[in-house]
Amino acid sequence: MSEEQLVYKKKKKKFKIFPIVNAIIFIIISLLILFPMWKVIVDSFDARSATSFRWWPKMFSLGGYNAILTRSSLYWPFVISVITTIAGTFFGLLLATLGGYVLIQWKMPGRNFFAYMLLFTMIFDGGMIPKYLVMQDLHLLDTLWAVILPMSINVYNLVLMRNFFEGIPESLFEAAEIDGCSPMGIFFRIVLPLSKAALASIGLMFAVTFWNDYTNFKIYIRKNNLYNFQIKLRNMVMDSNIPTDDTVDPNTIANAATIVAVLPFMIIYPFCQQYFVQGVNVGAVKE
Amino acid sequence: MQCKSCQTELPKKAKICPKCGAQVGKPAGNTKILAIIGMVIMLIGGLLPFVQSNEKLVDGVTPKAYAFGFMNISMPVMWYLFIALLVVGILLVVAKKEKFSIIASALSMVVLVVSMFVFQFTSVNGKTKTGALKYEYHNLSDLLSNGYKGNSYSIGCGLIVTAIGLIVAIVGVFWDVVALFKKDLGVDAKYLSNTLNANMWHQMFYFRGFYLMFLPVFVMVLLFFYWPMLGCRYAFTSYVLANPYYMGLFHFETMFRFDTFFWQAFRNTLILSITKLILNTGAAVIISLLLNEISNMLFKKTVQTIIYLPHFMSWVVVAAVFKMLMSVNSSGVINGILMNINLISEPIDFFGSSKYWTGTFFIMNIWKDTGWGTILFLATLSGISPDLYEAAQIDGANRFKRLIYITLPALANTIITVFILNLAKVMNLFESVFVTQSAGTYDVSQVLQTYVYNKTFNASFSDYGYTTAVGLFKSFVGMILVLGCNWMSKKVRGRGIV
Repeated sequence: MSEEQLVYKKKKKKFKIFPIVNAIIFIIISLLILFPMWKVIVDSFDARSATSFRWWPKMFSLGGYNAILTRSSLYWPFVISVITTIAGTFFGLLLATLGGYVLIQWKMPGRNFFAYMLLFTMIFDGGMIPKYLVMQDLHLLDTLWAVILPMSINVYNLVLMRNFFEGIPESLFEAAEIDGCSPMGIFFRIVLPLSKAALASIGLMFAVTFWNDYTNFKIYIRKNNLYNFQIKLRNMVMDSNIPTDDTVDPNTIANAATIVAVLPFMIIYPFCQQYFVQGVNVGAVKE
Repeated sequence: MQCKSCQTELPKKAKICPKCGAQVGKPAGNTKILAIIGMVIMLIGGLLPFVQSNEKLVDGVTPKAYAFGFMNISMPVMWYLFIALLVVGILLVVAKKEKFSIIASALSMVVLVVSMFVFQFTSVNGKTKTGALKYEYHNLSDLLSNGYKGNSYSIGCGLIVTAIGLIVAIVGVFWDVVALFKKDLGVDAKYLSNTLNANMWHQMFYFRGFYLMFLPVFVMVLLFFYWPMLGCRYAFTSYVLANPYYMGLFHFETMFRFDTFFWQAFRNTLILSITKLILNTGAAVIISLLLNEISNMLFKKTVQTIIYLPHFMSWVVVAAVFKMLMSVNSSGVINGILMNINLISEPIDFFGSSKYWTGTFFIMNIWKDTGWGTILFLATLSGISPDLYEAAQIDGANRFKRLIYITLPALANTIITVFILNLAKVMNLFESVFVTQSAGTYDVSQVLQTYVYNKTFNASFSDYGYTTAVGLFKSFVGMILVLGCNWMSKKVRGRGIV
């Protein structure tokens, strides 16, 4: 064999090994991510989950899910979660679109003042206790408004919305104005229909934060019947505070609750992945 | 009035000649940052004690007259007047009417002096038999000359700070600091918008619909962001359930000098979030570099879908999943494996002991956020031109050399960006720790935010004033970090993060 052939062979060999190793690495990474979830899924279907690990439920039962569906102490938090998520996403999107649309009116007197007013809130924050005291003064403690309202005004998402709106060509606005469209008309007939992707992206971000909210409930809510599913889950798993019942293993209920807590987003996530990713890219690359 | 360069008649109050674009009158200077800083110093000075007892307040339960400031004046209106005047002053500076801001800041100083010596001050001195607080009223001039029950009183730092603030504010009006750092871009005025000449009221009327649209946002921001900022004044009071009374800098003194738990929490905040930041960014860079090498698009998409997945789980769910995985009882897989290969003889309590809590926390963080962190890096990597790689390949560069000389330099900017963006959030570490910590691991898991929460809502005796002070310190450090990162970001990539 000549030297050239040797070099060629060496190169070709290297080229083959790396992709395989790489693929194996990613299969392992994927398994590392999926394995804990698989264990939770298996345990949620197993009537005797607290014994030992297995790849498949030994005593298949739907007892855990049944308990969540039938016990009011378990399904009521789920309802609360759904209510706050829907209401919060609605208010959040409303405020973000209104604010974002006003912030692209460059010629509006006071526009810069409003922008700086919003930006300053990203620099300095009043702190947890003053916020709590404000809620007390507003008589919002122990109501769902206390968890919906403060999170629905999210300056970061508002600025993100503004960035999406900025991408709409100015000539469209001008054309609509010449045709006699009012500012409100432009907003409803041109801006909103053109930014469906942005609405989906930011709406999903709001929905995820509201669904996953734990902190605000912990701070502002003291009533047992207003707790959401995350609080309930934390109590069940970390503090082992599960309503005991002879028929179902408490560990099975905890596992089923974990699955229920992630289920809504796991179902829509594969279809909406692009919207989630889009939000991150717009936020960092073009602010 | 006529334009100097083209002799056309100018409209009233015109700043720019509509015909030739020449600037009429003096150009508007830079914002006088120093004047604003001076007024902020005055604002802070208004929170500090004017007059202070030389005796230290030791007993936290029975309040005594310790310090006097705006907050225990018999006319609280004076404090709001002081703040309002300073805010007007700052707005005047922003609106480039600096000369008038001198009047506002001087007036606020007058308000301060008048409130000190004209009005009476309320102090809380012990409790009545029924347990209600006992109020007493003093004249400051009296206190300063005669003392009170054997204690002597002296001028507190508030007056001095405010006076310094006033001097800075007035000097700042005349001294253009920004000009020292800023290059004159030399933009011709004619490229500026012609709306400068338009009547502001007409403009505002034209945009009336937009003001209505902004109203809900405005109200919400005032309610949930700016009202709590005013609540920072509680950091200077003792606030146990009700009736806050003024204590001056007492809480800050306690916090910095005596509270070891506070320092522990501060240290933990820095250690946990900075380590987390480095680990997450590092892992994300490595994974995105490897992911970029995959040529099979279907495989790549599947892997991406899977590694983004944990990001949408709440911290509660992640903690729950790991708790079940690392459980001490027989269903815990990790303990089972470790015991099977005889590494340990007893199951490890990963969440309950402070020895293992930190590691568990970092593993959970990497599991949850690494995948999501790759998005930005992947976007940058897909932007690198394939021509570069081809050229390098022809020149004989192997995979490693291509990585060193093409990929990493292209990625460096994004890495720095991500790092800066996250460095600004270092002090905000809360939920991930809050969900996983338990009383047994406070020594490694207590961060500033959880310290505030636990000390307020879980402690037997809680003083809102003290925890507000801790929160204020956290916000202050956070602000410095954000501003610092903003400055760095401007240097590195030409635009800020806020």
